[in-house]
Amino acid sequence: MIRRTTWLTLYLLLAMAVLARPAFAMHIAEGFLPFNWAAFWFIVVLPFWIWGLRSLQHTVKSNPGLKMLLGLAGAYAFVLSALKIPSVTGSCSHPTGVGLGAVLFGPAAMSILGGIVLIFQALLLAHGGLSTLGANTFSMAVVGPFVAYGLYRLVRKLKGSMPLAVFLAASLGDLMTYVTTSLQLALAFPAQAGGVVASMLKFMGIFAVTQLPLAISEGFLTVIVFNLLAAYNKNELEELSILPEKTAAEGSRSRQ
Amino acid sequence: MFNIDQYAYSNRLTQVHPGEKIAFALATLLIALVAPQPALPAIIVALMAGAAIGAAGIPARFYLQLFLIPFSFLIAGVAMIALTITNQPLAGLKGLTLLGWTLGVTPASLHLAGKIFFKSLGAVSCLYFLSLTTPMVDIMTVLKKLRVPALLVDLISLTYRFIFVLMATVNDIYTAQAARLGYASLRTSYHSLGQLVANLFIKTHRRSQELFTALTARGYEEELQVLDVPKPFSWPFLFLAAGLDLVLLSLMFIFRRWTLWPPF
Repeated sequence: MIRRTTWLTLYLLLAMAVLARPAFAMHIAEGFLPFNWAAFWFIVVLPFWIWGLRSLQHTVKSNPGLKMLLGLAGAYAFVLSALKIPSVTGSCSHPTGVGLGAVLFGPAAMSILGGIVLIFQALLLAHGGLSTLGANTFSMAVVGPFVAYGLYRLVRKLKGSMPLAVFLAASLGDLMTYVTTSLQLALAFPAQAGGVVASMLKFMGIFAVTQLPLAISEGFLTVIVFNLLAAYNKNELEELSILPEKTAAEGSRSRQ
Repeated sequence: MFNIDQYAYSNRLTQVHPGEKIAFALATLLIALVAPQPALPAIIVALMAGAAIGAAGIPARFYLQLFLIPFSFLIAGVAMIALTITNQPLAGLKGLTLLGWTLGVTPASLHLAGKIFFKSLGAVSCLYFLSLTTPMVDIMTVLKKLRVPALLVDLISLTYRFIFVLMATVNDIYTAQAARLGYASLRTSYHSLGQLVANLFIKTHRRSQELFTALTARGYEEELQVLDVPKPFSWPFLFLAAGLDLVLLSLMFIFRRWTLWPPF
């Protein structure tokens, strides 16, 4: 009997190692969260959606052309998430675009655009799901962008350099997204021994394998992208400052 | 480019009213989520697979391949729930013990993991039924009818329509870069990918301006007007769907004592 369970444990560990590929590992799959928790995260995310939509409605009213830009930004974010970054560890993973989007468009726009991207990932790519949309939106389109944007502003205010600000925003935004996902899973499935904390450590352990290299890779990539944009496309970045949060423009201006 | 999207337009249930399909998929999804018996999601998987393969005519091979997508997350997640690490004795704990810490499984954790696995598969099959039979354009029509704010619907439809345009652009840039050894080493890969993402942003920006100019020239004011194709209600589908969901609901209430099946 003991032999059988030992084999089972080994088998589960092996299955985890083989199958836990980095592909979209951060999206909670459809139906994985119990009904109560799925509903809870929808309720948590609702105020952010309302706030984001209000803010966008205000923006679009003052400048109707920005609606097209926002719509295309949604498509841009979706396409980004389907790209593959060569990871430092040799494997490939998908960027989240959380940091880049937050710095370019601000957290209000990201809460809506991120939600839309997650719907399309569920329906077109079968990643994530409808019942877990609330939970996934909270981690990827609310916590991630807020952390990224906050860090970016903070580092800029402390007179840190642009690359440093962008790197920290992108990599820590990524990292906080995965910590949030682990917390969501841990709250829904507390461990028998040790409760939520032990369970969270378990989930963070498994995600850390894939998400830590990804966060660093994405940080590097976002810095490269931002340097290129600041060097060759100052006008476009400055135009984005029409959005309520003045973001990229001031960064590119202060480079001069 | 996306197979799921292709089947959504070409399957045999395309002409059924989208509202009926959405209601059926979501109601069944809800049953899969709240049902305490693990047997019910298993029945739902069979039912939805039958609906997608039998009624809608999705190739069985493709349908099975789709189920592999959530597996990487499911297996890792379920394994994390099943495995317990502790240095205290726990009822029925079995596994590897090292330095007083035990990594293993308990009957309760195994049971929970199995239950979540089935539940998730049941829910995934409902999602697949919706995404394989209902084109996104139809879903947007329903959203508009449900009085979802116009700005949100417009953003969703702009996103959907431009995903394919941008995807084609990405493929062109990627091919051109790869042909010039842009992805030969890790260093050049990062540089190329950075250029790709930055260029794509600029192209996106330009395109949005061109789109606005073109729309303004055609009398655009605040809202995008899209012609939607009216689809008649299909009574047979509605009756069948409602009947199946009622059967599932009654199964849920009749077999309330079966929550411990299958006994792991």
